[in-house]
Amino acid sequence: MFASLFKSASFVTGLVLFGLTVLTAVVAPWVLHVDVGQRVGLAYMPPSAEHWLGTDHLGLDLVSLHIVGLRASLYVGLVSGVVATLVGTLIGVYSGYKGGFIDDLLNSLTNLFLVIPSLVVLILLSSSFEQGRSLTLIALIIGGTTWTWTARAVRAQASSLRGRDHVALARINGYGTFGILALHILPYLLSYLFMVFVLQTATGILTEASLSMLGLGPHDSVSLGRILDEAVKNEALVDGAWWAFLPATVLITVIAFSLYVINTAMEGVFNPRLRR
Amino acid sequence: MQSFLENHPRLRHSLGRALWYLLTFVVAVAVNFFLPRLGDHSPVDTLIARAGESLDTRTAREQEEAYLKEFGLVEVDRAGKLVRAADGKPVETSLASQFARYLSLSLRGDLGTSILQYPKSVNEIIRAALPWTIALQLPAIVLGWLCGNLLGALAAYRRGFFDKGLYPLALLLSAIPAFCVGILLVFVFSIELEWFPAVGGYDDSRIVEFSWDFVSSAAHYYVLPFLSIFGITLGHQAIGMRSMCIYELGTDYIKYSKLLGIQESKILLYMFRNAMLPQLTGLALALGAMVGGALITEMIFSYPGLGMTILTAIQGNDYPLITGATLLITVTVLFANFTVDLLIGFLDPRVAHAERTKR
Amino acid sequence: MKRVWLGVCMTAAVAVLGGCRDESHSGGAFPRNQTLYVGGYQFHEPVTFNPLASAPDWPVQPHNSVNLMYEPLFVFNTLTGKMEPQLGKSFEVGDGFIDVTVQARARFSDGEPVTALDVKYTFDLGNEHKSLPVATLWRFLESIEIIDPKASPFPRQLRFHLKSERKNPLIVLDYLQEIPIVPEHVFAQLFAERGNDAVKVQKLMLDRNPVSTGPYGLVSFSAEKVVTERRDDYWGNQVFFGSKRAGPRYVIHPIYKSNDHYSVALQQGRLDASAAFVPRIWLKRRKGVRAWYEDVPFFPPGAMPLLFINVKRSPLDDVHLRRAMAFSIRYDDIRELAVSGYSRPLESGLILPFGFEGKYFSLADAKQYGASRFDPARARAELEAGGYQPSFDSEGELIETRDRSGRRLPTLSISSPAGWTDWESIVRIAVRSMRSVGIDVRERFIESSQHRPAAYAGDFDLIMFTPSPPPTPSKPWSRFDTVLSTLDFRALGEKMFKNMGRFNDPTAPGYVRRFDELLALIPTLDSEAERVRAYRELNVLFMKYQPALPVVYRPDQFYEFTEKAWTGFPTSERPFLPPQVPGARMGTRSLWQLSPTPAAQAD
Repeated sequence: MFASLFKSASFVTGLVLFGLTVLTAVVAPWVLHVDVGQRVGLAYMPPSAEHWLGTDHLGLDLVSLHIVGLRASLYVGLVSGVVATLVGTLIGVYSGYKGGFIDDLLNSLTNLFLVIPSLVVLILLSSSFEQGRSLTLIALIIGGTTWTWTARAVRAQASSLRGRDHVALARINGYGTFGILALHILPYLLSYLFMVFVLQTATGILTEASLSMLGLGPHDSVSLGRILDEAVKNEALVDGAWWAFLPATVLITVIAFSLYVINTAMEGVFNPRLRR
Repeated sequence: MQSFLENHPRLRHSLGRALWYLLTFVVAVAVNFFLPRLGDHSPVDTLIARAGESLDTRTAREQEEAYLKEFGLVEVDRAGKLVRAADGKPVETSLASQFARYLSLSLRGDLGTSILQYPKSVNEIIRAALPWTIALQLPAIVLGWLCGNLLGALAAYRRGFFDKGLYPLALLLSAIPAFCVGILLVFVFSIELEWFPAVGGYDDSRIVEFSWDFVSSAAHYYVLPFLSIFGITLGHQAIGMRSMCIYELGTDYIKYSKLLGIQESKILLYMFRNAMLPQLTGLALALGAMVGGALITEMIFSYPGLGMTILTAIQGNDYPLITGATLLITVTVLFANFTVDLLIGFLDPRVAHAERTKR
Repeated sequence: MKRVWLGVCMTAAVAVLGGCRDESHSGGAFPRNQTLYVGGYQFHEPVTFNPLASAPDWPVQPHNSVNLMYEPLFVFNTLTGKMEPQLGKSFEVGDGFIDVTVQARARFSDGEPVTALDVKYTFDLGNEHKSLPVATLWRFLESIEIIDPKASPFPRQLRFHLKSERKNPLIVLDYLQEIPIVPEHVFAQLFAERGNDAVKVQKLMLDRNPVSTGPYGLVSFSAEKVVTERRDDYWGNQVFFGSKRAGPRYVIHPIYKSNDHYSVALQQGRLDASAAFVPRIWLKRRKGVRAWYEDVPFFPPGAMPLLFINVKRSPLDDVHLRRAMAFSIRYDDIRELAVSGYSRPLESGLILPFGFEGKYFSLADAKQYGASRFDPARARAELEAGGYQPSFDSEGELIETRDRSGRRLPTLSISSPAGWTDWESIVRIAVRSMRSVGIDVRERFIESSQHRPAAYAGDFDLIMFTPSPPPTPSKPWSRFDTVLSTLDFRALGEKMFKNMGRFNDPTAPGYVRRFDELLALIPTLDSEAERVRAYRELNVLFMKYQPALPVVYRPDQFYEFTEKAWTGFPTSERPFLPPQVPGARMGTRSLWQLSPTPAAQAD
């Protein structure tokens, strides 16, 4: 089933795009000289031959900043995607399969997380830790608060699977809940989970950018969101320094876009009705 | 009573849901109360710090104790004096009794006094900020939803060139981070072209009133913020609606209707109505989340809405304001979800059927 | 369906075209040629206009010396270093007292004259009620006496008696130019109605028809702006301005959330003057934004942000380490990048080497004893002298530093509020600089609301702080006092409002008494020569011990303006007034010099 994915043009496009950004993030530090601490020129110098994206308000090389930022943002996106998918899947699949009281209880839990302000949790936790807001902490908090959508979606799927014959058969044969979940529900959801993971990663990246814009970005690293935040605070655009703002915007958009395209392609492949 | 409920599964279903939502609400209120207070940073510290270096330690301590007393954070005896422990420090009120006090006051509608914007009451602050938040988002969300769904349906029905062009565009639009759209709009239309203003809700020379002057000024200032929210909503809705419609178009009953030769417009109507349901739930949820949303848009355009208020409150750990605002958000979001749940139960025959066969 | 589309199109048309006439707020309730827009003082919705509150909003901000509504006795001229008359006509510093004479023709907005009784009442409130801002003055004040109480038509002379054990006329002068004078006949009643409870009186908003002396009165306010209107019966018109009245009829402060909003508004001509930080102001010149100077440093520097060092935490108690830190910092980078060049080159010590403090500064001393200049060789020498051994990796990055006994030094942190971009830049540059010579530090950004509490509690290794920023008569003494004072010494964890680095603990060995002696002595000196000598000695002591690291000079207030709608602002080329935004300090007087441009008239 996964093989047929590659026949879809949009899937391949999306995958290639995403792969390129990941490749850049991974390979670039070896190929280019990445230094985010050393001042290389005046503030907001335009792109030139030595500094392809010019400098920021501190005179630092923007190419280096974007590479470090790209790595950080991808990290946050992937970690929060994993966390959100895991949590959401566990809750959703258990809730959808069991139904009844457990279902209602877990639904309430999901609703509870909808109304807890993640900002409060973020600030609370970040001031309790010595390192303050690290990338990992932010990724964990984003993952821990954006799983509600996954839980709902997975629950719906699990709920419809419940009525299938092989599940009933397994129940008759005496399989326990977890056995059934592991052997008879989850495997059928794999493709769906993958789609969910892709979307959660995109959400993670976009949320990190938003948090940084609010001034709640990571203290210990540059991230794409922080680059944008600094550009706005230092009035880069107003002074015409588009190179401090646009590349990061484009990067985030490209990553999110490629992930959306992958997701749509998968939807098209796995859901036969959507295939045309 | 029992038999009445048994004969009306829908009603029982609704009551059941209502009870669960109530439970969630109660837990949420408790969590929203305790969460900010668990940090070890006191907003009273911020208030004292504001007074500056001119304070000497003794006066600072006296002022601090006065504030602590004012906000019910320390125990007082009958005469109104602070109860002190053996080391002379005032005894802090336990979180439990603070919570009790909070509950009894909130039930009466008194959400307390803001600590950082002392002596303003939380009610006042929320009441002043809320209209801006709603005015900012409501038209943009509703219009974005409408236009997005229309476009999505159109794309699903026509396919072909319209779809191939529009769909990736919608995806692209929803992939751009929200604030980037806002900032780029400001940059292009306000700073470079100077067609629209960059900051504020209305012109500084106007006052809030029902006059053409004010309304046209507010509309003019609203264009860019509106567009930034509208655009994103449009993108999201178009994508969702398109998927839904494609799904519907492939169903048996549509195929059958076509075979039967039923009028095209009627078929479209069926498709629309059925695809609409999840979209409607999306709208309800978006409206419910309005209160806490658009934080960044408010920040970029300096709209004095609730989002900015909440952010500053959270950063300064202004307990009463945080708890009051999150209470409002809890109520609206839960209410929206509850309504949506009910609606689905009533409107979607499949769900109702599932409920009936559950027993 | 068609009608819906029509409606949508019409609304859109209104929105797009509705503001088309609106180039720079034409028409409306406040005509452009009668309205001056100022910004940079207010970032949140106003909460109170009560001059007795601890942090009132614009235009009642004593800590920013905003005097549009309520006025103090005197105003400090930052160009000349002199106290100019406001509600007070003159003053004289004697031995253990300060005499003040009130203006004969000063009036409140309700017509009542301002008398010595009002002045005494205003300051006496601090003696009786400890929660008021003026209360802290009474650590230095013994009593206030009205001289000649039976004078006709009303008493105008007072004598402020200083406490004999803490004689400090400088601090009293600071208060004389900060505390707004309130009407006794109004506030006595407010107190009486509230059982003499100052906390209750402080809670009043006082936004309706307040009785004040200033040239403008509060008209309205909202979360978006505060509006004040000119009072044509302002007493100062006769006394200071030859019966002329102020130019703008309205002075409005729009409320934006962040500095860049004020900056954009300034560039678009929607704001006339601003005190908010504007980066790279030379790029804004083409949009008409001007500053005090036409060229670097654009604004006269007046404040000295520095890094307090917590000497209670080893190894920061070692002067070699502290001086090594001082020598390692790239001060030029900080000056150019962090404050956009709005600065002069840094010299060592706590005295500003220019302006009215300049006479106390000695360049020779700075060169001989100071460490606040970029000299990595000497930084390394100091580290060696202290027995520290840094080790670097193959790329030149610092791995760790060990001390004399071979123990690894902990990674120190430099704390700064997150979100203050220029300070963040300073800290990053400082960290980078220190690490390159072998001092293991890293940045630690904390919530801005926690910055001051952390400083006061001593919860830091190094922390950014601007000691006593406003330019006042007590400079540079008050800067030394804020950095070195050992009065009210508190252990770590308790709040200490001065000398947060806990330097020179009187109870610990190694206490240097001379610091406290000089701090107590300087305010009592009345000969200029004696003062120069004493400051010099104190500054040298500071440089030798280096308990704090000055990092840059920055403007005490940013003074930007644009002449699109109003002309007549003072600049370095026409310095008829010091650089202050209209509404604050002497900047208010520029209001009488401003006139609307033809462009504004046309609207």
